[in-house]
Amino acid sequence: MTSILECRGLTKVYGKVIAVNNVSLGIGRGETKVIFGPSGSGKSTLLRCLGLLEKPTKGSIYFNGVDVYASKQDLNKLRARIGFVFQDPSLFRHLTALGNVMLGLKHVLGLSDAEARRKAYEALKLVKMEDWANYYPAQLSGGQQQRVGIARAISMDPEVVLFDEPTAALDVELKWEVIAVMRDLAERGTTMLVATHELRFAREVADEMIFMDQGQIIEAGSPDHFFTSPNTERARKFMAKILG
Amino acid sequence: MLFLLNYSTFIISGFLITVEVTLIGVGLGLILGILAALGDIFGGRIVKIIVNVYVEFFRGSPLIVQLFIFYFTIPMITGVSMDVMVTAILTLALNSGAYQKGYLKGAMEAVFKDQLMAALSLGLPMWKIFLYVVIPQALRIVIPAWSNELASMGKSTTALIVIGVREFLNTGISITAQTFRPLETYAFITITYFIWIYSMLKALDILYNKVKIPGLEPII
Repeated sequence: MTSILECRGLTKVYGKVIAVNNVSLGIGRGETKVIFGPSGSGKSTLLRCLGLLEKPTKGSIYFNGVDVYASKQDLNKLRARIGFVFQDPSLFRHLTALGNVMLGLKHVLGLSDAEARRKAYEALKLVKMEDWANYYPAQLSGGQQQRVGIARAISMDPEVVLFDEPTAALDVELKWEVIAVMRDLAERGTTMLVATHELRFAREVADEMIFMDQGQIIEAGSPDHFFTSPNTERARKFMAKILG
Repeated sequence: MLFLLNYSTFIISGFLITVEVTLIGVGLGLILGILAALGDIFGGRIVKIIVNVYVEFFRGSPLIVQLFIFYFTIPMITGVSMDVMVTAILTLALNSGAYQKGYLKGAMEAVFKDQLMAALSLGLPMWKIFLYVVIPQALRIVIPAWSNELASMGKSTTALIVIGVREFLNTGISITAQTFRPLETYAFITITYFIWIYSMLKALDILYNKVKIPGLEPII
């Protein structure tokens, strides 16, 4: 399968710390891949590089087969085609849920106010937040804010959506609100790359799971592979720890 | 106090000059403050140094000294003299901009850190991020601090007397010199200042409550 988004030999260094070390992976249309691993293993940095929010120190990123940095493409245009959902929803506090979703539609895609409003409502409906459209972020729970964050990302009709531990800051109840939305998106065939510790979600929806540690991919395989017989001791120990 | 009616045109003209230099000074100071805050956040080393020298000079020296420098020293060095009102407004704007830069930088960074990435991920170019995300929030957050700046600048305009601007206090001094009635004259000036500044602060309070958004409280 041709990858929509791919990185080859991606390395990201901060000072003397190697956050991501020579990572190569690709995600094909309609696929859901889950990256998991301990905190500080480089998952978020890898996603930020793939989302073109940080430039890798070394290596290449390909979007629909084109080397993003070598071809000197307009990064803003590409970013609009890659959805990103953050650990902290990072909603714009001066805008309502609807305003948050409309912002990119109006000022990036150039839709008219009416068209942006219609599309934003559609996206909010998809994450079951249409009744909260006129509420400000501070008036919403963490789970609701995260669902608006997801609506904001998917409203742009991105070719791939990257999720950076979207449930990490939520309590158990709110976590499942967000997971339900992500599961729904996966079932609709949205191309997704998800960094998460939610292995139950991974088992249900992932086409492939990728285990990272110390900035490197240690092992990749199907959910069944990880839940029955991971190859490496490190992955085995991590799975045992997470699953209790 | 009725004798002051004889000087009403003179008093009104002085008061209007005070209002004019305050509002234009703070308004231009806001633009300078925004530019200086952006320079300090995004500028390279040289820009940051220029911004910091500017801010420290205007915050670290008395307004009267700044007025002397702009009205007497700079024209002596350059040979170019400026109209007294232009000098007054320019000095007040530069002075106010140095203080406003501090408020605005804090407000911008409060918005900036947690939302820049989100805006960037949507594909918004940096200028649109500032226009639609940072500035609308920073201006709301900064209103309470801005009230202090407006009140302080309104009162600081009395320093313009040293370069001969016919502002409100100066008119009072002239009236006192002619009438030998300082008690009533200065009482009238004090009360007028108080009413004017109190009204401006109340207006900003109303504005703040009008544009206030839950969760977007000032952090300064």
